[in-house]
Formats: sequence, C-alpha cells, structure tokens
Amino acid sequence: MNHFKQDSGWGSSASILEAAEKTLASLQSAGFSVELRVPNLPLLAPDGEAKRLKKKAKEENPEYEWRGDSYIVLKDSASLLDVCRHLRDELGWEQLIDCTAMDPSAESGELLGCYQFLSLSLKARLSIEISISKESPEVQSVTSIYLTADWHEREASEMFGITYSGHPDPRNILLPDDWEGFPLRKDYEFPEEYHGVSCK
Amino acid sequence: MQVTGSERIVELDVRTQDVDINMGPQHPATHGVLRVLLRADGEILTGAQSHLGYLHRCAEKIGENVDWVQYLPYTDRYDYLSAMNNNLGYSLAVEKLLGQDAPERAQYLRIILVELNRIASHLVAVGTYGLDVGAFTPFFYALREREMLLEIFERICGARLTYTFIRPGGVMNDAPEGWFDQVAAFTEVFDQKWPDYWNLLVENKIFIERTANVGVLSEEDAIAWGATGPMLRGSGVDWDIRRDQPYLLYGDLDFDVIVGKGYRGSVGDCFDRNYVRMFEMVQSNRIVRQCLDRIREGEVQNEEVGMSFACPPGRSYVGIENPRGELGHWLVSDGGKIAQRCRVRAPSFVNLAVVEHMLPGCMLADAAAIIGSVDIVIGETDR
Amino acid sequence: MGIVQFLSDLLPETIPYWALVLLGAGIAFAIIIAFVSVVAIFSVWLERKVAGHIQSRLGPMYVGGWHGWAQSIADGIKLILKEDVILTDADRPLFKLAPCIVLGTALAAFVAVPFAPGVVPADINLGVFFIVAVSSLTTIGVLMAGWGSNNKWSLYGAMREAAQVASYEIPLGLSLMMPVMYFGSFSLSQASEMQAGWGGLHWYIFSDSFWIAIPSFVLFFTAALAETKRAPFDLPESESELVAGFHTEYSGIRFSFFFMEEYAAMYLMSAIGTALWFGGWNFPGLYLLEGTALFTPLAIAVFVVKSMFLVFVMMWVRWTVPRIRIDQVMALGYKYLTPIGLFLVLVASVWEYIKFSMMGV
Repeated sequence: MNHFKQDSGWGSSASILEAAEKTLASLQSAGFSVELRVPNLPLLAPDGEAKRLKKKAKEENPEYEWRGDSYIVLKDSASLLDVCRHLRDELGWEQLIDCTAMDPSAESGELLGCYQFLSLSLKARLSIEISISKESPEVQSVTSIYLTADWHEREASEMFGITYSGHPDPRNILLPDDWEGFPLRKDYEFPEEYHGVSCK
Repeated sequence: MQVTGSERIVELDVRTQDVDINMGPQHPATHGVLRVLLRADGEILTGAQSHLGYLHRCAEKIGENVDWVQYLPYTDRYDYLSAMNNNLGYSLAVEKLLGQDAPERAQYLRIILVELNRIASHLVAVGTYGLDVGAFTPFFYALREREMLLEIFERICGARLTYTFIRPGGVMNDAPEGWFDQVAAFTEVFDQKWPDYWNLLVENKIFIERTANVGVLSEEDAIAWGATGPMLRGSGVDWDIRRDQPYLLYGDLDFDVIVGKGYRGSVGDCFDRNYVRMFEMVQSNRIVRQCLDRIREGEVQNEEVGMSFACPPGRSYVGIENPRGELGHWLVSDGGKIAQRCRVRAPSFVNLAVVEHMLPGCMLADAAAIIGSVDIVIGETDR
Repeated sequence: MGIVQFLSDLLPETIPYWALVLLGAGIAFAIIIAFVSVVAIFSVWLERKVAGHIQSRLGPMYVGGWHGWAQSIADGIKLILKEDVILTDADRPLFKLAPCIVLGTALAAFVAVPFAPGVVPADINLGVFFIVAVSSLTTIGVLMAGWGSNNKWSLYGAMREAAQVASYEIPLGLSLMMPVMYFGSFSLSQASEMQAGWGGLHWYIFSDSFWIAIPSFVLFFTAALAETKRAPFDLPESESELVAGFHTEYSGIRFSFFFMEEYAAMYLMSAIGTALWFGGWNFPGLYLLEGTALFTPLAIAVFVVKSMFLVFVMMWVRWTVPRIRIDQVMALGYKYLTPIGLFLVLVASVWEYIKFSMMGV
C-alpha cells in the first residue's frame, strides 16, 4: 500500500512534476529565465535503504542525489513580480500558500526564497525558488498580487533580514520591534540577555 | 481617559475622536494571547491591527537544531487542539523525504485518530464560539463529548493533549484491546448528541442574528488572502485537500466536502464558517466508521524507519487538511540527521491575517464573533 | 401599616416622632440588608446549581456538605477578606462611591415591596412608581464605576448600561401600566390584596383581563431582564466582549457589592412581577389560616418562593441563549417592545373602561 503513488494529487511527485513542467514551458515561452530541478532518487525508497541512509555520511555530495518535490528555480529574482502575475493570471495558480526563505549555511553567500503555490482549479501545487544575496537581501514584495504574502513576508523579513521592497507594512510580526539579528540565519548568535532578562 | 485617533467635527463644532482599545493580549474573546488593537467610533470599529508574537516559541529554529524525530513533540504544540493532525503533517513530510511509507493498519489508525481529533477540535471551536457570542451552555456540552475523545486518545497513547503518537513510518503503538469498541461507541454517542449543538446553538434565533451577514468574506477575498480549511469552504469554495489531493487513504473513503451556502445569511459570513465546522464533524464521524470497518490486523510501524535516521537531501512540502486549514511543512534536508530548514505553514496564522481587514465597519461585539469564527489557536499563529 | 406606626403603638408616647422615624428606618434597613444578603447568597448558589445542571455538571458540591450549600457564603467571606485594589489612575471618589450607590439604590427599592399583609417596610401608595424610579438610579452608580475605573472597557460597559437602561425604562414602565389600570392603584400591597379572591387564585394573570396580562407580563419580563442586565441583555458586563464591563477593575468587597446588586435587582424585578401578576402572597387555601400566627410567615414564604421562581426563570434564560448585540438590543427596545407596550396600554385602557362603564366592575 503506497499512499504516494496511489493518489492522483500532489502527494505523488509525478503530478507535481507534471504541473511544474507545464508551468516551466509557459514561463519560458513568456521569456522568463527559469530552470526545473527534478529529484533523481525514487519516490519510494527500496527496502533497506533507510538503514543504509543511517550510515550515509553527510559529505556524500548532496547535489546529485535527492528526493522529494521538484521545484522551479527563478534565476532572475528581479522578475519575481512578473512571474507571479503570469502564474496567477495566465496559469491559474490562485493561491500563494506559503512564502518563506531559508539559509543553506553560514558560509553560503545567499539565501533562498521559496514560494509555494496552490491551484484550486488545477488541483496542483508548485514550488518556486529564488536566490537572494546576503549582501543586499532585497526582493520584490508580491503582496500586490497575492494579498496573503503580507504576513508571510513580514515573518521572512524579520527572521532572515530580507527587505521586501514594496511591502505596505514592513513591521516585525512575531518578534519584538527592537529584536536584533535575524534568528533563522545560520550565523545567528543567540543574545546573552534581552532587556535585562538573561537568555542563556 | 486618554483618547487617541483621528479627530472629526460632527455637528455644531462638536469634536469627536475615535478611541483606541486594546483587545488582548489578555482578553476572553481572543482565544489566547492575541492582541488586536481596535479603533472605535463608539460601538463601531473604524480600524483594527493584529499584534502577534506573545506565544512565539521558535518552533522553526528548534526544527533546525533537533533530530527529525525529536522535533515531533514540538509539532504537538503549535495547534494544541489538533496535535494528531500536526504529527501527521510533519510525519508525512519526513516520510516523503525518506521515501518510506506507513503500513496499511497504521494509515487507517492515523485516519481514525486524525478525524477524531478533528471532531475534538471542532467541538472546542463551536463551543468557544458559543462563548464568544454569549452562550455558555453549548461549550459544556461540547466539552462533555470531547472528554470521551480525550479518554480515547489517552487510552491509545497516554496523553490527552500533546500526543506525539503519529510519527514517521507509522504510529507509536497498536491500539489496546477494546479500543476500537470504544471508538465505535463514541461514534454512536456523537450522532445522538450532535443535534443538541445544532438545536441549542446554531439554530438559535439570537445566534443567527449575531452571526448571519456578519464578517462576510467573499470567495475572491478568501482565495486572495490564502484562507484555507473551514474559512475557505465557508466562503463557498469547494476545496478540501483530503478529497482533492488525497493523502493517506482518503482517496478510498467516502465523505462529503461541506461548503458554506449562505444558509441563514450571505455566503462567507460567520454563520457559514460555523456551519461548515458543524457538518464536518458529522463527516469525520462517517470517515471514522468506514475506517473501523476496513482496518485489518498488521504492522503499525515501518521497520525501515527507526528513531534516529538521516534523510536524503531534498525538499518536501506536504500540506494536510488540519481542522483549521492547510498545515504545511516545508522541510529541507541536506542529507543529515537534522533539518536544514523546517518551515511550518500554520493555517491560523494565514487565516488571521484577513481579520484586520474584516473588522472595520463592524460593531465591537462583532469583533468577538469574527475572531471566534476564524477559530485561531495562538500556539499556531505564533509557533 | 408601616413600621413607624407599629413602633409608636409599641413604645411609650414620650418618644418624639422623629426618633420613631429614625428607629423605624434603622430597623427597616437592617431587615432589608439582611434579607437582600440572604437572597443574594442563596441566588448565587442557586445560579451555580442551575447553571451546573443545565450544563450537565453538578455545580458546587463540597463546601458545607449537602450540595455545596455554603459555597457562596465561603465566596462572600473570601471577597470580604480580599485586598481591595484601587488603581492609581482611577478617579478615587467616584470609584469608591459607585458600588455604594449601586447597592444603595437596589436596597432602597425594597422599601416598597409587600411581602405579606402589613409586612412592608413603607407602604407607599405610589409603590410601583417608586420602585421603577429608584431602581433605575443604579445606572448612575454604574456610570460612575465605568468612568471612575479609567478603563476603556469599563467605560464601554457603563455607556451600554446607560443606553440600555434608559431605553428599557419605557417598555418597563408601559408594561406596568396594565396591572396598574386593572387594580386602579399604584400601590403594590393594594394590588396584592386585590388578588385574594377565588380562594387565593384570582391573580391578575388568571383574571378576566388575562389576555392583556399575559402579553404585558412577557413585556415586563423582557424589559426586566434588560433592566437587571441579565442575559441575553448582559451587554454592560458581556465578558466575551468587554472582559467584565463596568466592574472590570473592582475587586474584593466592592466587587461583591455589584454582585449583590445584580441579584437584589433580579429579586426586586421578580417581586414586582409576583406582586402584580402572580397574586403577591396569595395562594389557594392560605386564607384559611388568616388570623393565626402561621399566616404571616406562610404568606411571606409564598411570596418569596414565587419570586424566587421568577428568578429561576431568569437564570434559566441566561444559561440558554446567546447575547444580543447592542444595536439589536436598541432595535428590540424601540422598534418592538415600546410600540407593543403602547398598543397594550391602549387596548387595556379601552377594556378597563368598558368593564367599568358597562359592568361597573
């Protein structure tokens, strides 16, 4: 019994891949510079693999073998707003389900911005990633297209120090206004104390 | 009395000012430590702004510092009213990275537990919504049935609120003897008791007056604001992840997706959101019954997945239908024993965002009714 | 027969009249405050039991033994012993005075309540008028509490109370006109006496005007719920909206004053309802005992039990229905209850006139 293969929906990477491929073709024909990343490990691990994975060292090159969802990489992050408009208006990705970022490592010079889309009409999901340099972490805000990006961008902004240009209300949302540092960055150092309260 | 806000000249050179009121962080109607700053012209609200973060517990940061399985107890604590669902969402995301699957019996057990948890969560939602509009008694009726559910959960996993029971690769243990009979008994009792809530609360004339046509969220707005779950369905959007993108074995099960129809007012009002929750409980009960019929003996844990493992590198986003909407986990692994990024897409957080745009123009009493109808859990908005 | 008359008969004639009045007032006050305290304590316990049983719970079960009968006494002691917190920013004189005014007006209204023949602290012949007038003074105390607390939620509660009580005075007053026209008197004790016929069952609600009495009682009861700030009209203290409304900032004994006032007002409204619609102290068969020593205590008991039943109905309503919104409260008061009241007054006056002129009743 396999709940990933058996279903018709997002769970199978096949359908995510299908949606991503269609979207990719449309984006490419619209002139955007995009690239599709597809996992090369099988969706279901063959027997015994989990035990093998336990032994698997981290230094095995992560670039080559990976599992999970395929995603589209948007090479030119300046075109994000246009891509989102294209996705919503032309392709029917009505909902931006999630908008967040990640910091691959402390040494890495860039952050990854990740956007999860959901289409209620296509019953499909899509994931788009952009890269944001840590030097000048500035991205266009997609709030004007997807209203829901409002709070997500505020959260990503305070956690990663990304500036979303064009955001209507760029205050901190979960953290206090005077919080220093960006907690979800890998080089974040936990403060010794906050307003006289010891944190360690 | 300090009065702030915009000044207006009404008539005869009488100057009036709007009052800024802090609803919360300690307020009975905000369901926790949410603070909504209201601006009111008498009883009518002219502005609202939500302030979050009072219960921020750094769940995402913790996710980057503990093992894959060690993170599981933290998932219990975002939406503490539906911890089973949270466990499930995280477990599915990890399983997707691992490429492992849960045995069939574990999947049916998961569906039973998740649906029972949905009933428990909706019971609290409907009951506390009664409190928000001033009806005390339905809350106690709801808690009476929820107590039976908590006993069921306690019996199978030893905890009443934070279960950590569903985990990557299956569930923690098999059901104890007689447990399925207890669940079956509950499904019978629940069908008998459900009309009580309907008659006492939802069909109450005053309740209808308080909720119908209040806090109307149109279909377009609901989609644009990323609303999910009962909030989206209440606005008339026919979307349920369990049916449209099935996970576990939901594809085989027979249930209806409840959509708000503007039964007493217009589509997308507080009544409709509550209506969706009321009937979803019935559907969940139906699903539990089907699972009780279908469940077979077998393993409940995939032996391949242990307690400590490394995930292959990759990204997995799994969104499941939580009682409050889509709970998404976006996990990024670099091949290690610890997540590189553990993103939680919390339904309450997103659903709450639209509230500050729904409040202006309503009355002060509607603020409680609207916030209650969104059914937020602060543990989840703040994580 | 009032207390002063009773005292002047009892005491030697050398005592001056003003002393008698003072003494009488003191005795009446002591009796009323004792009675109201007992009623409040009992009502709180009853409310918790009623709420408990409605909500499939048991309510208090431990303190005192039998069904937690001493629970509200213990709560009262706790409230008296608690620290009395006054905010630094509060308007202290108003803040301190407000509970006294609120409780004082509620107590003052009890002066005109007839418990049994002759057992009425002051038999005012404008009793109905007096009670309605005095009991609505509570609003002033509530406004003072709301303003004095320097809390926006309290202020909202106070303003709601003012708006609500002012609006519901009208239907309340109109609903009282029907029994007043029927009895031809504003005196509550006279009204009670006039319902003594048929062996004690000739109550207004069973009289030939019953078809006016029943709607007028429904009107009265609705308006009384609003006057006493009981659900579904508990907007001044609606806890899910205004935290606790005008008494948010009160604690200890001052809070208990507001608490007592609520139950005193409930009892008072029920007592008016009993005296005017449900025959006061009259009960079938009670007249047989007239003249014996048992009569007066039994009559008081009948009156108290009848009014407690109405109090119970108020509790029943409270734990059953949700709360109405303020605009709906206003709409109900002005758009429905007041016109209905006016119409009933018209019908009742025509009916009573016809009865008087045609039948000479």
